[in-house]
Amino acid sequence: MSTRLIRPLAAASLAAALALTGCASGAAAPAEQAAATTVTVEDNHGSIEVPVNPERVVALDNTTFETLSEWGVTLVAAPKPLMYDLWPSLSGGDEVLDAGLHREPNIENILAADPDLIVGGYRFREIYDQLKDIQPATIETSPRDGEEHTSELKRQTAILGQVFDKNDEATKLSADLDAAIADAKAAYDPSQTVMGLITSGGKISYAAPGEGRGVGHLFPTLGLTPALDRAAEDASHGDDISVEAIAAANPEWLFVLDRDAMFGEDGYVSAKDLIENAEALKNVPAVQKNQIVYLDGSFYLDEGIQAYTKLYRSAAEAFAS
Amino acid sequence: MIVTAPSPRTLGHRLALPAATAGVTALVVVSLFVGVYDIAGEGFGTEMFFISRVPRTLALVLAGCAMAVSGLIMQLLTQNRFVEPSTTGTSEWAALGLLVTVLLAPTAPLIVRMVVASVAAFVGTMIFIGILRRISLRSSLVVPLIGIMLGAVVSAFTTYLAVSTNSLQMLGTWFMGSFTSIVRGRYEVLWVVAIVVVLVFLSADRITVAGLGRDIATTVGVDHTRVMLIGAGLVAVATGVTTVVVGFLPFLGLVVPNLVSMWRGDNARANLPWVCLGGVAIVVVCDIVGRVIRMPFEVPVSMILGVVGSAVFITLLLRMRARA
Repeated sequence: MSTRLIRPLAAASLAAALALTGCASGAAAPAEQAAATTVTVEDNHGSIEVPVNPERVVALDNTTFETLSEWGVTLVAAPKPLMYDLWPSLSGGDEVLDAGLHREPNIENILAADPDLIVGGYRFREIYDQLKDIQPATIETSPRDGEEHTSELKRQTAILGQVFDKNDEATKLSADLDAAIADAKAAYDPSQTVMGLITSGGKISYAAPGEGRGVGHLFPTLGLTPALDRAAEDASHGDDISVEAIAAANPEWLFVLDRDAMFGEDGYVSAKDLIENAEALKNVPAVQKNQIVYLDGSFYLDEGIQAYTKLYRSAAEAFAS
Repeated sequence: MIVTAPSPRTLGHRLALPAATAGVTALVVVSLFVGVYDIAGEGFGTEMFFISRVPRTLALVLAGCAMAVSGLIMQLLTQNRFVEPSTTGTSEWAALGLLVTVLLAPTAPLIVRMVVASVAAFVGTMIFIGILRRISLRSSLVVPLIGIMLGAVVSAFTTYLAVSTNSLQMLGTWFMGSFTSIVRGRYEVLWVVAIVVVLVFLSADRITVAGLGRDIATTVGVDHTRVMLIGAGLVAVATGVTTVVVGFLPFLGLVVPNLVSMWRGDNARANLPWVCLGGVAIVVVCDIVGRVIRMPFEVPVSMILGVVGSAVFITLLLRMRARA
């Protein structure tokens, strides 16, 4: 069938589905409101009323997966290719529909899942309007750019706590994060310089303080002294840097995100290999004293509050030893 | 600008090549001394020089030479000025070969990857030449268009393969032509292309004749098919190896041979040293610019080559049209 035919068909079915949900909620509204309660939360777009502890949840934002999994939330559709085997309780089973990857979201499956709530955002932020059309109760809670990252994580957790009626658990997660940060801050000696790196495809890139996926957030949060302080041009993938420049910056500590660790087939070049076996880096204090912290292999697919708590904890441990 | 009839060998003529060689050597020396690390510093500076600068500069020289010469051979073989490994699909085939090796045999050593990439590049080049034979050409521009289309189809497949195996990210880093990660131990295989360049020097005349067509070639006693195969093979090896080690170097093979023949006329054999020098000069300059422009970070050489190359490509097109 040609795409010329598919498009109107899809549009028609979408319209029909919307009309149906519209009718359903119109007819059953009084009865439902008595049973299920709603809560008004402040998400990234402002105030929105959503059902409490919704039954049919679609979650697309990977920064929420670990929290949802911990709280025993089940999903009706999830971006399975993005989740790998990390969250079997969220993505496992054939009854969980595949929402596709952000590059090619499977909108039809999200529609077919008939969600009461969609947790959108982050990699999927570009389809926000489409998600809104499918289910007006769509929230985006991912940390916003330009805001203080730690409080953004706590804000996100608090919103999810309200929606899933897990306020105590949310408070606990935020407290854990604060504790890990406090420990790391206490253990860190500001005279020691730090550099953030991202490795991928056998190459090393520079993660600028304050930006750049995980590694960058360490700097403002913990008040680290950068070995090289430059703004990033490519915040999510890191900037092209030579081993010479790393050697010249002479960092005491390295924090390294290995982007390929998650997808890496057997033969991939690990960050450890790239850095510790680099002839040019052998005189760098971080390598000599083995003061290198590697981020969790799954960090890059996770990036939620627990992932950061873990990262700050490992920073605290490393600094203390 | 265009020098005609080199019959009365003037002093200037004889000195041109040595002078150009000296100029390019000077560039190469400059390249050795551009970088973030203070190599004049005590102790580790000298070591860093041999760990980082020398390998990088050698890689620049080898890759620049190889891609420029590859462009020249392709242009001779197809009798078309707009052809080079990145406009014939050769580079894309090499990339596909590399990705397939990495997926099927992730632990295979570099040499296996290079061989597979080169074989894939060879197959791709032959397909391109095969297609060219089957169509009647009205305009010389159709040739690179076919090549670019072919390359786009192949790279679309490569991208599909990468997306479905979640290696798109790696693919981007691999094929972005960049010398940033070239250090001791990571460039040595490029010496293979030095052999290729020598072989090209030895067979330049035969390749030129073969390019004139099967009939003429056979008349003067050249085995047309064999030379075509050898020429395509040399290009495939040079492209395959360069792609595996540094990634795509777009337009290099297009710009350099064309500039040289605009200036010196079309004598492949006599132009070869100039093509080599030109390739090295452009790559070294682009890489130095890339290293300096955002110090201590780097801009990949392919990005700068892309900008310079496309500008020259358009100028060439306009000039050709004006002449026609």
